Amino acid sequence: MESRSKSKHRLAVGLALAITLDTAGQLLWKFTADTLPSSAALWPTVHAVLGQPLVLVLIALFGCQLINWLKVLEYADLSYAQPITSLSYVTVCAFSAFMFGERIELAKAAGILCIFCGVWLISQSKPRIDAQRST
Amino acid sequence: MSATLAGVLLIVLSSAIEGLAQVCLKQSAGASSRKYRWILLGVLLFICEAVSYTGALQRLDVSTAYPMGALSFVSVTLFARWMLNEPVDSRRWSGLILIIFGAILIAT
Repeated sequence: MESRSKSKHRLAVGLALAITLDTAGQLLWKFTADTLPSSAALWPTVHAVLGQPLVLVLIALFGCQLINWLKVLEYADLSYAQPITSLSYVTVCAFSAFMFGERIELAKAAGILCIFCGVWLISQSKPRIDAQRST
Repeated sequence: MSATLAGVLLIVLSSAIEGLAQVCLKQSAGASSRKYRWILLGVLLFICEAVSYTGALQRLDVSTAYPMGALSFVSVTLFARWMLNEPVDSRRWSGLILIIFGAILIAT
């Protein structure tokens, strides 16, 4: 019993961390993209990316995200975990309004709600597990 | 071409690349030899996707670009159906239609 409630607790922390890392990653990515030169040319942009230390922080964040996500999947089904982490659509939106002053119009809010419902529906479709291949 | 339109097209491109990358990773799981070739191709595609998404973020709000990135669910499903013959049930199709509708709402 105790170990079961412990895994439940770990799952909750893992899911919260997944949403936090998703949100932080997107905000930092946007912040980094805005520091790059706006020229459409590929090579000056690549050069600027390599010279931007924030890119390393971003890569480290994605590494943490991957490790945490694999940990979450040890405790829960993908179909349970995925719709919960799609809450990050809401948190990214809220923080982008707060930090970058992005405007959230009604159409955008409705679109995000639609996408959230779509992800939830997808997670409800039944997986086909190939037993023959796993042997 | 307006910056917004270019940004939206870059998101569509990123999502399409993501679909191909996921197909490569799935191929690596089923391959009996030379798995690493598929993984390498998948990783290269993910790098291309990151470049394209960065370009999108330079032109769009992150509150526009990030939810529209859910279009990758659409491309993953289409590529999985066409290239891997994975079955797609009606719930999944309805979910995808909702995502496309949501992305259109955000883009306009």
